Amino acid sequence: MEKVLDVRELKVALRRDVHRSETEILKGVEFSIGKKESLALVGESGSGKTLTAMTVMGLLPENMSVKKGEVLLCGRDILKMSQQELRDVRGVKAGMIFQEPSSYLNPVFTAGNQIFEAIKDTSLSVKEKKKRCIDVLKDVGFTEDIYYRYPHQLSGGQQQRVMIAIALVNNPSLLIADEPTTALDVTTAAGIIELLKILMERYGLSLLFITHDISLVSNFVDKIAVMYAGRIVEITDAKMTMDMPLHPYTEKLIACLPERYNSGEKIKTIEGSVPDFHNLPSGCPFHPRCPYVMEICRKSEPPVVKKYGILVRCFKYGMSMET
Amino acid sequence: MRRYILFRLLQFIPLLLGMTFVSFIIIQMAPGDYFTQMQMNPDVSPQTIENMRRTFGLDRPVVIQYFFWLKNIFRFDLGVSFSYHIPVSFLIKQKLKNTLALSLFSIFLTWLIAIPLGIFAAIKQGRWHEKILSFLAYIGISLPAFLIAMLMVFFAARTAILPVGGTTSVFYIGATGWEKFLDYLGHLLLPGLALTFAGIGGLYRLMKNNFLEVLGAPYIITARAKGLSPVKVYFKHTLRNAINPMITIFGYTLSSVLSGAALVEIITNWPGMGRLMLDAVLSQDLYLVMASLLIGGVLLIVGNLIADVLIAFVDPRVRLR
Repeated sequence: MEKVLDVRELKVALRRDVHRSETEILKGVEFSIGKKESLALVGESGSGKTLTAMTVMGLLPENMSVKKGEVLLCGRDILKMSQQELRDVRGVKAGMIFQEPSSYLNPVFTAGNQIFEAIKDTSLSVKEKKKRCIDVLKDVGFTEDIYYRYPHQLSGGQQQRVMIAIALVNNPSLLIADEPTTALDVTTAAGIIELLKILMERYGLSLLFITHDISLVSNFVDKIAVMYAGRIVEITDAKMTMDMPLHPYTEKLIACLPERYNSGEKIKTIEGSVPDFHNLPSGCPFHPRCPYVMEICRKSEPPVVKKYGILVRCFKYGMSMET
Repeated sequence: MRRYILFRLLQFIPLLLGMTFVSFIIIQMAPGDYFTQMQMNPDVSPQTIENMRRTFGLDRPVVIQYFFWLKNIFRFDLGVSFSYHIPVSFLIKQKLKNTLALSLFSIFLTWLIAIPLGIFAAIKQGRWHEKILSFLAYIGISLPAFLIAMLMVFFAARTAILPVGGTTSVFYIGATGWEKFLDYLGHLLLPGLALTFAGIGGLYRLMKNNFLEVLGAPYIITARAKGLSPVKVYFKHTLRNAINPMITIFGYTLSSVLSGAALVEIITNWPGMGRLMLDAVLSQDLYLVMASLLIGGVLLIVGNLIADVLIAFVDPRVRLR
């Protein structure tokens, strides 16, 4: 299958000026998204989900740098691109939407202005560009008058739809959605998810969806990649995850979901907290919180193994790919 | 918008009344008045002093005096100066022109230099360009304007590059209009530059910090994620938001044109409002002080109004209300 996004062994480090040292935040992230395929990156805050997305857009903060790996977007490695090439790719090959649409829209420009300026096709006339803006606005379920509105005149859900319009105006192959529903209330969030489904079909989009809520995506995306401490610990078919989580972390994540409990029953949590990147535990980073911890987990990092067609990083399922 | 401005203009009236009333009372609360010093003079008889007090209305209760003063204000009569024995309006007219020329010159120059430098430094944050500029700004903020003025007077007197003191040269009489203008400008340069040097540092830092703050805003990430050029990211998305607080500051700056330059005026012997106001306050020249305060108050309120209108003009969130 043709791959729209292929991330290989991506390592990203944070530079700390105080100690003149570097801390690795992403420790070899690997996943790929095919054409019209959708993948959700799931994990707790601080596991490196957003950082992965920012790397794909070539938007790493200045104190972060890529140490190793390849990020192939439509076949071209964005890590090898010049700034100018990156600007040409952004918006055109991949669009991105964010967590809080209210702060990600510039308050002093109209929605139309912000969509209009995103159009990259220089062969279009002003009139054609404006028509394109209005077409996209209609695609996200608006009428033309939203073009002239300022962000503060729109509700949270409307703002997020404007963001989607901005991301889709150049007809990109990939849409990156970084927790797009977290700041919205439940019904609005459901509306956004429905809209994304429709747009994926209409635009032939591939989707990289970032969330901490595994239940939100399990019946909506094709694949789920669970991240923990800068690594992907499990990549599975979304439909299988809920019933058959392999990695102990995934299992725990699902066990925490409130909808799995009857009223009055106490909801379980994962004991302990996400480890500090500057001070990761030895061996498997999850071992201090893991109920199945073995001697080997404390000593060495588990390799990726394949079990029932699922890629998982855990010694529970053997020592190497062959087993 | 028009209703808003009208409303604000109406608000001026109680504001100005309150301000002038309070300052009038406070000035009069100081022991004695202008004529008290005259009593020390054995050549002036107590009867004369009493007569003068009566002519100027100083023998009546303070509140009554205030309303007499107010009545005259509505007739555009600012009263007579005790020490100069000429109408205050005539006295101020001469000096106000010089002070306005000096203040506006230095404000214009300060903004013209500080704003672009602030933006440049914010873009180059952490690099050597910014470090040098910020170091210079630090020095500029540490040195008070009057000290810079003193150093410049000293420098100008030694090298004779710039004329020192006054507004005109000896050959001013008989010069053509253009030559007169250039001569005036030459004299303006020294106090004007002193004020500018003193003002750049603070304004530079404000602009730089505003710009940096906006650069960290999420919508800048959106702009970059769209693949916009740095020119658009900086000068469309960042500048439009970073300039808002500067407009408020511009309003305040307008309100200080009258008194902001006072110390520098006195040191460089620039015949402006500074010396006039200082002398007036020291000698309790009541109506002269009141007139200066009134002009200052009007400038403050008008400056703020201009700032508010400009803000509404650039920020759609304010425009609605």
